[in-house]
Amino acid sequence: MSSASPDIPASVKVILATDCGSTTTKAIMIEQVDGVFRQTWRGEAPTTVEEPFANVTVGVLNALTEIQEVSGRRLLDDDGQIIRPATADAGCDIYISTSSAGGGLQMMVAGVVREMTAASAKRAALGAGAIVMDTIASNDKRRPHEQIQRIRELRPDMVLISGGTDGGDTKKVTEIAELIAPAKPRPRFGKSYELPIIFAGNVKAQSEMKRVFGDGGFDLKITDNLRPSLEQENLGPARDMIHDVFLEHVMAHAPGYDKLMSITDAPIMPTPGAVGDILQTIAKGRGINAVGVDIGGATTDVFSVFDGTFNRTVSANLGMSYSISNVCAEATLPTILRWVHIDMDERELRNRVKNKMIRPTTIPQTLEALVFEQAVAREALRLAYKQHKEFATTLKGVQQQRTVGDTFSQQSGGETIVDSMKLDLLVASGGVLSHAPRMHQTAMLLIDAFEPEGITELAKDSIFMMPHLGVLASVHETAAMEVFERDCLVFLGTCVAPKGLGKPGKTCFSWSLDGGARGSGELQFGDIELVELGPDETAEIEIKPARGFDVGAGNGKVVKQTIRGGTVGVILDARGRALALPEERSACQAAMSRVIDQIGLYPEPAAEAVAQTSGSTR
Amino acid sequence: MAKAYTPGLKVTASTHHEAHRVLPIPGEVKVAEGDTVEADTVVAETFMDGDITPLNVANLLSAQPGDVPELMLKKEGDAVEKDEPIARSKGVFGMFKAECRAPASGTLETVSSTTGQIMIRGASIPVQVKAYLPGRVLEVLPAEGVIIENEVALIQGIFGIGGETSGTIMMACSAHDEELDAPAITPEMSGAVVIGGARMTAAAIEKAREVGVAAVVSGGIDDSDLREILGYDLGVAITGTEKLGITVVVTEGFGEIGMAKRTFELLQARSGRMASVNGATQIRAGVMRPEILIPLEAGKTADSEETNHTESGVLELGTPIRVIRDPYFGLIGTVAALPESPQVLGSGSKSRVLDVALESGDTVTVPRANVELIET
Amino acid sequence: MSRVGLRSVLILTTLCTLCASGVVVAAMASNSAAAPPEPPTNLIAVDKPWDGGGVVELEWTASVTPDIKGYEVFVHQMVSPLVGELETNMQADAEAEDQTQEILEGEGVAPEDADQQARVEAENDVTLTTNEPEWTSMGIVLGNELAYTATGLDKATPYVFMVRTIGADSTASANSNITTQLIPVAAWFDGEKLPLFCILGVICGAVFLFVLLARNGMPMKIRTIAGLKAVDEAVGRATEMGRSILYINGIQDMDDLQTVAGVTVLGHVAKTAAEYDAKIEVPTSRSLVMTAARETVQASYFTAARPDAYNPDLIYYVTDEQFGFVAYVSGMMTREKPAACFYMGAFFAESLILAETGNSVGAIQIAGTAQPSQLPFFVAACDYTLIGEEFFAASAYLSGQPDQLGSLKGQDVGKILVGILIIIGVTLATIASATASAPGLAGLHESMTSAVDFLVNTILGS
Repeated sequence: MSSASPDIPASVKVILATDCGSTTTKAIMIEQVDGVFRQTWRGEAPTTVEEPFANVTVGVLNALTEIQEVSGRRLLDDDGQIIRPATADAGCDIYISTSSAGGGLQMMVAGVVREMTAASAKRAALGAGAIVMDTIASNDKRRPHEQIQRIRELRPDMVLISGGTDGGDTKKVTEIAELIAPAKPRPRFGKSYELPIIFAGNVKAQSEMKRVFGDGGFDLKITDNLRPSLEQENLGPARDMIHDVFLEHVMAHAPGYDKLMSITDAPIMPTPGAVGDILQTIAKGRGINAVGVDIGGATTDVFSVFDGTFNRTVSANLGMSYSISNVCAEATLPTILRWVHIDMDERELRNRVKNKMIRPTTIPQTLEALVFEQAVAREALRLAYKQHKEFATTLKGVQQQRTVGDTFSQQSGGETIVDSMKLDLLVASGGVLSHAPRMHQTAMLLIDAFEPEGITELAKDSIFMMPHLGVLASVHETAAMEVFERDCLVFLGTCVAPKGLGKPGKTCFSWSLDGGARGSGELQFGDIELVELGPDETAEIEIKPARGFDVGAGNGKVVKQTIRGGTVGVILDARGRALALPEERSACQAAMSRVIDQIGLYPEPAAEAVAQTSGSTR
Repeated sequence: MAKAYTPGLKVTASTHHEAHRVLPIPGEVKVAEGDTVEADTVVAETFMDGDITPLNVANLLSAQPGDVPELMLKKEGDAVEKDEPIARSKGVFGMFKAECRAPASGTLETVSSTTGQIMIRGASIPVQVKAYLPGRVLEVLPAEGVIIENEVALIQGIFGIGGETSGTIMMACSAHDEELDAPAITPEMSGAVVIGGARMTAAAIEKAREVGVAAVVSGGIDDSDLREILGYDLGVAITGTEKLGITVVVTEGFGEIGMAKRTFELLQARSGRMASVNGATQIRAGVMRPEILIPLEAGKTADSEETNHTESGVLELGTPIRVIRDPYFGLIGTVAALPESPQVLGSGSKSRVLDVALESGDTVTVPRANVELIET
Repeated sequence: MSRVGLRSVLILTTLCTLCASGVVVAAMASNSAAAPPEPPTNLIAVDKPWDGGGVVELEWTASVTPDIKGYEVFVHQMVSPLVGELETNMQADAEAEDQTQEILEGEGVAPEDADQQARVEAENDVTLTTNEPEWTSMGIVLGNELAYTATGLDKATPYVFMVRTIGADSTASANSNITTQLIPVAAWFDGEKLPLFCILGVICGAVFLFVLLARNGMPMKIRTIAGLKAVDEAVGRATEMGRSILYINGIQDMDDLQTVAGVTVLGHVAKTAAEYDAKIEVPTSRSLVMTAARETVQASYFTAARPDAYNPDLIYYVTDEQFGFVAYVSGMMTREKPAACFYMGAFFAESLILAETGNSVGAIQIAGTAQPSQLPFFVAACDYTLIGEEFFAASAYLSGQPDQLGSLKGQDVGKILVGILIIIGVTLATIASATASAPGLAGLHESMTSAVDFLVNTILGS
């Protein structure tokens, strides 16, 4: 994007940022305190994209009003305009925003081969923060008329077409364009909207694209091939083009966004795109592999950076409110109940799930409801991560180099690059994770769903600030980094989990912290233990895995590493990987109860707690 | 700051309702401004582009794609019949010519010299929009559709399945908390909008479908029953396109829950009148709830007493509310207290709460997120 | 295995004959010293029941002379004129086959050429052996034994038997009665092969069982074969790059199993190509292979519901000449630069030429062959290689049909059984040889040796 970042960071003292989600608009205020930027106040209000308001700025101003009320700083003038620049006790210097309201950016992508150019196109679209409604490819097992039917049903905001390496195929990619053009996908916004088509394919096919999309109804944009050769992927230009088109076309047609765009100091970014940006920055800065997850009401986004390669997936129908029923349908209730240690009535649960779906904003009041909701969250995360692993792969269609030594170990292309053993940092965000009453619950949710192996740091996004910081980084990087380190992440602790399986009761590994000064012990297979290590503390851990277990250095090899504490501490997980819970219900309940006791997941509710776990008046 | 973030569903005895009846693509409007329309009057019509059948002529004739245009017997824009020869190869010395026949009837839309592919566009598909709401045409949107207005009693449900339909209101239950089971459905109810009380069973809906009932409205439904009717486990609450032959509207939620007394009485009072029902639900961006529209008797206008729309979502002491989450799911009461500071819930989380004085006389505390206003 | 077995039987027979005649001479020489003992009486010969033929059981009543050394058993084979010539031919055949194998393994020559060479050489090597139609001693048994089992007889010729008593001073008696003519025929079931039959039963039963289980929906897991999984990738590459796919089905005819396996894989590749709408080119070096390939590819295009895209002209015959074919294919590769090359079938010296050319034009290459000598070349130069058994399992792997998967699983049981037998046998033999010279372990050595003998002679048969 060619947006000019204001070159006046020195005078910037107060920054306002909003994120217009599909249900709530969250605003944060960042102020310079003692020379460093800190996030100071926040506020939120319902998003107002829908009727009766149909104007996103109303929600934004409501959220800012809340900050105004709690901070006592005047931000809006009498006309409801943001006061800029900041004075001593009023206004702000920079205002930025992200948006995923109204369903976010919805795209359709097309390519020649589903696993090759179409997959690259999908990666580009997802990386830019879009929701990919469908992927059309010449080998997607659909007959051309079925593809046309599908294209006609969809109402994308834009279409990305790729296909053919440079100098490669033109025939198939033209054929696909010839399917899309007569099908005339209807955009969501009005009839006057010219559907943007981005072509990022074979340079030799550009003239054909101009011919096919030339006559009316389309706005064809051409950019560099995102797969110039099969060995190479070049997503940058296509991603930038998607952002440009997003601002130019999509935002301009969404209710109230023209106004919002006029008051922001940086281009509005799709929320997931901004989250991806900040995660990439961290991973690059610290030289680590990181996975981020954002579980929302309707969708779950998974971001990963492994060895510098960024990937994002959106699991469209895995979420905790609108999509909760779908999680139950996909995971099945017995699978969800694996994570529940108490007996629950299945019929009652089914009805509760549906009631949550139709009234998505409710929150669990009883402990029982919370336990169940967190069980559903585990499955939603697990399914989303599985989809992510299947998508985040090495390039397909690449020539391999071999020696005779490879005779019996022929690795194929398209293997997943997500390696739970190499994972260093797992960041959680989204209501059910960041609003869990106890951090221990968040940590265990992450461990059970992602099954990290070896030594992995766990953190959560305190108030879902990552999107704001993602945009801020493009305007004022120092501020973004300072706030990120100080206020954004809450470190939960570190998970130590050896890979491998054994028999219950057999030794899994022994450990010692700081040479035994802060504790040491031995864990049997199937056990889990929590060791206190406070936030901002570090310690050196030495782990001696038993034979058949691996904590990163290899089978049975000792690992010594400095680890970071957190609000939860160090979780020593000897339940084995891949995590297998007992099949039998009562054994499974017992295993879960043990975990709950050891970690202290659900301590007895405090005396002043409102409703008891039971005791409904019905 | 005392706001309930879930504005309840509209249940009004009389309101002015405007129905936007718009074609998906431009077409012809069949009625004029000021016309009176019935529920099944076609107000606008258009023809959607027909289905496309692609055919690779180059492969069929073993020819180069570039040669395809000159091998075509039909030009772009010509009408073709199914099995009619549309292209012929040159053959060897004018012999052994291969022929290519049209796989479908329609119009030859494009001939590509790059891929050798042709497109045959089938006959147009008529698309009609009916009035749905009986009333008066308020405005004609040229080439798009119309806006129909009428004074109606409007009841929004929480969840529904099935599309638009209409019929006479008939009561199947005598009380708002009476379960709707199969015996309550009688053959006279064919074509009617049947009103139940509390939970409706799968058997009742199945019977209603056999009898030919247009729509069933009741307070609650069990998830297992819903699954039985649909034949699958509903994952995402986007409905309206089911082809069940019946429209089902749930006014309160899942489980054994009675219809709100007020809703029930409102419907009961209008028994025997025509109603338009739409089960389409979309609980997502662009939320859509199922609705029951009952046009007022001719000449009657909206009562002004019902139009005192308080600012939506404001919670005050004495506001009638309903709890929408277990353990008190479905109970109705009024706001008894609004403590300012957040409290710790049984689940361990902190949240802002309110006290509800229930109809039974008990007072319970629930998170503010778990109540909804009962709109009047 | 069978060839080796046959040869050793022949050698044994020859040795026996030689030894026996030596004994006869010795017996005759010491005959004149004293009065000869009485011969035994009531000699009866019975063909051994439940055997593989060639065994006759003899019984007689003891000689009246006390204190004898033993009895000598004699056999006379009735004449069967063709035996000599037949045997020579069999020996030559066996020799020729061995040599063909040697030539094939050593040099990269096509099989029929090797065959021809070997046959000529072998005929020169083998010499004639003939049998003397006289009383031949089969051996001597002790005086207290009154039965003898004659083995190693021909199961198609009639025999007569006779026994003489050998006196204490080694003088031989007169001949006993001569038995009636007897052909030691093979019974329909050889009792000694019972263990083998059991093993066979287990393997067949396993195949049968797994086929049934698979049909009833039991999931059969097959290890992922990278080479077959990569077919989609290779075809996809060709599609994206707008280039063709080259498929070489080996240079052997349809009578070679590898060619058949190659055609099966071709069906899968062609179906994928049809789905992707990619161009697949199949030059063949045998006309019959061309026909088979055409039918297979056409069927694949039909399965993929794209019969209009099938073009038979892309599957054609080049030449039978090994290197003529290779020259054509290499030339075509350099000119047209296919994006994917498949080599599935029997390959000889041309394997590396093809694979290197394909590599140099930047194609994804997948090879599959059961020629051990060519595998290293393919592994080094190709992206993926199906090795021997993987190649033959491809059809089960690709079709996923329960019958095929079940039989594959059943065969695995057989392999496991063989593996177990090898391990047991090797362990026993090791213990036996290790305890051979240990003084205190003679008993163990004895039992181990007999166990090995049982394993080798009875379970595995001869």
